[in-house]
Amino acid sequence: MADATNPIKQFEIHPIADFSIGGWNLSFTNSSFFMVTSVVLVAGLLSLAMSKRALVPGRSQSVAELLYEFVAGMIRSTAGDAGLKFFPFVFTLFAFILMGNMLGMFPYFPAPGFHGFTFTSHIIVTFALALVVMAIVIGYGVFKHGLKFFSLFFPSGVPWPLYILLTPIEIISFLSRPVTLGVRLFANMLAGHILLKVFAGFIIMLGSVGALGVLGAVAPLIMVVALTALEFLVAFLQAYVFAVLTCIYLSDALHPGH
Amino acid sequence: MAHRDEPNQNPSDPHDFERRLNAKLEARRAKEAASNPSGWGQGVRYGTEFAGGVLVGAGLGYLTDQFFNWSPWGLLVGVLMGFAAGTLNVVRAAQSMNQSDDASS
Repeated sequence: MADATNPIKQFEIHPIADFSIGGWNLSFTNSSFFMVTSVVLVAGLLSLAMSKRALVPGRSQSVAELLYEFVAGMIRSTAGDAGLKFFPFVFTLFAFILMGNMLGMFPYFPAPGFHGFTFTSHIIVTFALALVVMAIVIGYGVFKHGLKFFSLFFPSGVPWPLYILLTPIEIISFLSRPVTLGVRLFANMLAGHILLKVFAGFIIMLGSVGALGVLGAVAPLIMVVALTALEFLVAFLQAYVFAVLTCIYLSDALHPGH
Repeated sequence: MAHRDEPNQNPSDPHDFERRLNAKLEARRAKEAASNPSGWGQGVRYGTEFAGGVLVGAGLGYLTDQFFNWSPWGLLVGVLMGFAAGTLNVVRAAQSMNQSDDASS
């Protein structure tokens, strides 16, 4: 009974295939299963949709093209046309996170253990994705602009003694980017799924009380239906926000110094 | 929309079409960039920007304390710097949102 209404239980990680190298636990878990499923689904659906390569797209092909145009437009409006060289990266990131968020909306899923899981609700996953973004920003910025990339930390038009104060602030501000990027996605997914589970738990608790309880359980049921719709919106919106901020940070690597 | 029905003065010029198409696309892009995210999303963005600055500042301050034995000065200065960095983050986030607002008007 306690397990059925425990709102945290959905985030538990279970190993599917135990595996370890030199004492490091590298088991294939349900989190890994959903990541692999997400990658396979995105790659499979997109190649299926584009298999005809029709000049006049059919239904599935126009969805794939819509997705392409959406991400391309997003990069163009935030990082300019020069940002389009990062299109494969941003598109992969966006599709992966979006598919992961959407897979998390299944309460039951044909996975080992038979219940759904949202891998974006674990901060280590989102933080690792954010760190990959920052590694690309720093790597590309240094590769393209050399030491001039670090002019990011020296805002122009300031008398030089102020750099003693401003440069540490700029560095902290820069270092806080992967934190905010990772935490925002993680916090939204975690909070949303806990909220869903808490209200769903109310239905079970009230339903076990008696006839009056069943009547009262209608209120949380309506709430859960409304929250599910909201969660679908959040799942899309957070994938979008993550991709947009990635583009904004990448534009810093393309044109540092403003 | 009235000029859509007008006959093209110079139909043989392909650049004219290109130019008009680009102008339309440009206007559409500006409009799309301005479409506001929800209020909840904006609030969470400001909140995490600020909190991230403070947390990273405090973390760096704590680490300098550990390495150089400057306790408590590293943490003190780090937190203050973190607050400044968080405010800077919020100002930048607000600026970027206002810019996309101005592009439409």
